[in-house]
Amino acid sequence: MDKILEVRHLKIAFRTQTGTLKAVRDISFDLEKGRTLAIVGESGSGKSVTSRAVMGILAGNAIVEGGEIFFDGRDLLRIPEEEMQLIRGDKISMIFQDPLSSLNPIVKIGKQITEAMLLKNKTSRKQAKGQFQRLLKLMQEKTVEAAPDKKQHVEELYRTFNNFCTAGTKLEDSYNNASASLQELQAYLGDFLFKAEKKQPLDVRAALKYVASRLPKVKHPQLTGSEADARLDSLISEMNSAARTAVKATAEHPVDSKTTGLLTRTLEELNTLNAKERPDFLAMGYARSVHPDRNMSPAEAEKALQEEFMADFLPLVDQAVSRSHAESIQRKQALLPQLREASKWYSQAFEHADATRRCKALTKEVEASIDRLEVRKDSAAYAFGSSLTGAIERYYDCKKRNPKEERRFARQSARRERQIARGRHVTWKVVPANVYDEGELHDNIRMVTDRLAERTEAAVSAELDVRGRSEELVATLRSYASDMVARLTKGMAHERAIKLMEEVGIHEPRQRFYQYPFEFSGGMRQRIVIAIALAANPDILICDEPTTALDVTIQAQILEVINRLKEERHLSVIFITHDLGVVANMADDIAVMYAGKIVEYGTADDIFYDPRHPYTWALLASMPDLDTKEKLESIPGTPPDMIYPPEGDAFAERNRYAMQIDFEEQPPMFRVSETHSAATWLLHPDAPKVDMPKIISERIARLKAREAMEGGAEDA
Amino acid sequence: MPERDEVLLRVEHLCQYFGRVKAVNDVSFDIKRGEIFGLVGESGCGKTTTGRSIIRIYDITSGSIYFKGQRICAGTLSYENAIKEARKGLKTAQGAEAERLKQVIAENRKAIEEARHDHKYSDRDYANKLAARLKKEYEEAAEQAGGDTEKLEQLKKKYRDDLRIAKNTRLITNIQMIFQDPVASLNPRMTVREIIAEGLIIQGVRDQKYIDEKVYEILDLVGLTREHAGRYPHEFSGGQKQRIGIARSVIMKPDMLIADEPVSALDVSIQAQVINLLGDLRDQLGLTILFIAHDLSVVKYFSDRIGVMYYGEMVELATSDELFAHPLHPYTRSLLSSIPLPDPHTEKKRKRITYNPLAAHDYSVDKPSLREIVPGHFVKCNDAEMARYEQELRGQL
Repeated sequence: MDKILEVRHLKIAFRTQTGTLKAVRDISFDLEKGRTLAIVGESGSGKSVTSRAVMGILAGNAIVEGGEIFFDGRDLLRIPEEEMQLIRGDKISMIFQDPLSSLNPIVKIGKQITEAMLLKNKTSRKQAKGQFQRLLKLMQEKTVEAAPDKKQHVEELYRTFNNFCTAGTKLEDSYNNASASLQELQAYLGDFLFKAEKKQPLDVRAALKYVASRLPKVKHPQLTGSEADARLDSLISEMNSAARTAVKATAEHPVDSKTTGLLTRTLEELNTLNAKERPDFLAMGYARSVHPDRNMSPAEAEKALQEEFMADFLPLVDQAVSRSHAESIQRKQALLPQLREASKWYSQAFEHADATRRCKALTKEVEASIDRLEVRKDSAAYAFGSSLTGAIERYYDCKKRNPKEERRFARQSARRERQIARGRHVTWKVVPANVYDEGELHDNIRMVTDRLAERTEAAVSAELDVRGRSEELVATLRSYASDMVARLTKGMAHERAIKLMEEVGIHEPRQRFYQYPFEFSGGMRQRIVIAIALAANPDILICDEPTTALDVTIQAQILEVINRLKEERHLSVIFITHDLGVVANMADDIAVMYAGKIVEYGTADDIFYDPRHPYTWALLASMPDLDTKEKLESIPGTPPDMIYPPEGDAFAERNRYAMQIDFEEQPPMFRVSETHSAATWLLHPDAPKVDMPKIISERIARLKAREAMEGGAEDA
Repeated sequence: MPERDEVLLRVEHLCQYFGRVKAVNDVSFDIKRGEIFGLVGESGCGKTTTGRSIIRIYDITSGSIYFKGQRICAGTLSYENAIKEARKGLKTAQGAEAERLKQVIAENRKAIEEARHDHKYSDRDYANKLAARLKKEYEEAAEQAGGDTEKLEQLKKKYRDDLRIAKNTRLITNIQMIFQDPVASLNPRMTVREIIAEGLIIQGVRDQKYIDEKVYEILDLVGLTREHAGRYPHEFSGGQKQRIGIARSVIMKPDMLIADEPVSALDVSIQAQVINLLGDLRDQLGLTILFIAHDLSVVKYFSDRIGVMYYGEMVELATSDELFAHPLHPYTRSLLSSIPLPDPHTEKKRKRITYNPLAAHDYSVDKPSLREIVPGHFVKCNDAEMARYEQELRGQL
């Protein structure tokens, strides 16, 4: 499975007037590509805090006490704000609970949707250029290292590669320009025809002249070809002659059918052109620069590239890949004992300066052991330095601050006591001491090295598909090359936004594009928030209770939209909610959270058909379904105060099945099956056997019976 | 248990317009004593407005609402329209026809007067009735006491207190409301004791000991403790706040509660507590509840009968089992098809039915009205649809 996001031992607290509130206490989960992870729990369980930590938008008084969030070779908790800015909204985006408060009330909807696309385009072009050059240089270096005897040949090959990449990007750039004019014209014509249909006043002559003047810019050998060029020419001449007789359209005299027919034909022509597949510009560039005399078709060019160049080039890349991999494995093997030793060293007492020195040396080793030709980065290794330094700094910082804090607390308490003793009326309260558990912070340091050691061990024993990786590398280079010239103008963004609005189910997007948020109903607003979240084409979508403020019919529609988009765009979704019905609809995997901890984790089937944790039982039992007749089993009491989190299992106090040990010690995660685990002492082999509440077991039996019946009916 | 067949609240042709917006349009239903009547529909369909109209937060535009047989709200628009219509006819009508129309105008004028009187003075009438009864009782008791001055004095004092309360009593006090958002509906500057006792104090009760006793009793009833009385609302969790809201309405010994989405602002684990509490109160106090919500599984679980509203109109009304087993109106079907259920397998296969009123009905010739298909099951339909629904039901049965 392809893990796109990893959260490891995340701990977050909030500094408040009355003390430190432990919102998230050591949670770990993975998000796999193309799947939906639902986080379920009541308010205050820390589910929103977790998602906000992933987005890097925690409130100002939040303290990250430990843990890592790995995404694409980075630890999201420790990267600077500038870097986070590039990820937020672009790679990871979020749909908020209240659509009204997440839209700008004084900016039109269209502008809000296109804003992210345009911003992203500007930076991604700049980035891609650097990335392309860096990766190419690195590959060349490694290839030369792997085959020192063929140095000249290798350099020659890389030069050719660079040359035809440049030729290809030039060609792609001109193609993109033509394509931009095309999409802008699509937007213009779409708007015009929409207004004509609505009988709005229009300057027909100006429109025809504009379209006629812009159409030639669409012509491009790869985009239109000679046949389409001829068709466009005839359309242009038709338009020019129509423009001579055109009059202004008003509500009484709408645009005549001849003009609308002409423009509709033009739009259709453009639509078919736009639907054409993009040619492979790397191959085209190759054909241009190596065989300038031959006029090759895209298929021929691709064939020539594969047979003439790649046949030579790929084996060399293979050599580089396997050499680099072997080197890295060697270093990793050497690194392993060092990591183990460091872990032991860090678990004892040490001096600040020594620890930092050791950390620096170790980080150097770790960085040297990274296989730079990896396409998918090993986040733990990449982020090792920052994680370890962070953990050490935190430890010493708290060590310094704890006594101060305790002294302050003692001083203030004494003062308060004194005043009370003097018989004064004391209205102020003493802020509780904000003291950190030094042992825990100390453990954090060791855990960083332990985790990397685990990873390294796994990496050493893993197999490598050399050819697969070389092809991946070339593909990455290709995508960087086309990202360099990916152009997005305002007009194109407009057209894309309209498509996006159609996708999320907004009717008449051309009119809606120019409206303000207050002109939309609640469900429509939430759709717009979804459109904005998807505008930059993210990899991960976080939905924080997106349907809680909506009623059932709208809720069902929104969920359908999110599910469809997830399929179409291969999104990975984190879905936060307290509604188990919604979870059943959306989730592949479910994490049930209570009091800042994950108490049960498993696939949707695990949680709904085989729940193990008493809290999950209670959640399921407290919501009626359509067949429920008996009295609901409500959960007594309220969630614990997280400023003073309970010693043992946080749910023990509200738990009917609680045992003595639940009040004394926190249960570890017990594995139920490969995918399913739960943190409850009931799963301990020594625990008494407890059946889940009747209301749930009956419901599950009912569901299974119904399913068997339906399955039978389908077979018959 | 009280009699089940006594109609406690009757809503007749209720219309509530806000300017040109017809929030509620011609809605009629009865609620029997002791039952829980659920009102569902999407947001903006007028279910909350209906509840608020019943306790006179709004002055209704047209129609009447009867509580315990007494008209408590009345609107005049329908009468005004009748008069307008008649006046128009009067311009051309002659002879007997004109006489008839004049009579229509006179009748409707009288009806408007009556409606205005009932709307304004129904509470005073009720209070006067109470006072008269008290006076009679007092006089009887005084006669019995004869010359015993001490007893007479006592009786007089009690009579004075009771009379003050009776004069402040309103019929509408017998209907109490629980609001959706427990945070917004409790005054942050009042202690729980003050919040709960406020109704009693307004009614004229001055005996502090009696008030305290009452407050403690009610706190016990809703699952809070005596110690909670001195605290402020912000010191409570969401579920406890909603309990305070319920306590505040129950202390007035109402016959009926209007619960406007009492659980939608609460957490799942707390929702069940509040629903169970409302159910217990119904059994203990014999309450009648109008339960407004959009969570259909909760409504199904909690209600005896359910009315489905769509754009200000009642489209289907039946007992909850009947409604879920045999939904007839296409909107009800669409609503039922979108309920999320805690079952991943059926959820992933679920087909949502969409409802488009223009495509689903042809009302160009025959206008629809709320009709009874089988006893107790009403659907808004026209003749053709009614025939079809009847056939469907027979096919199913």
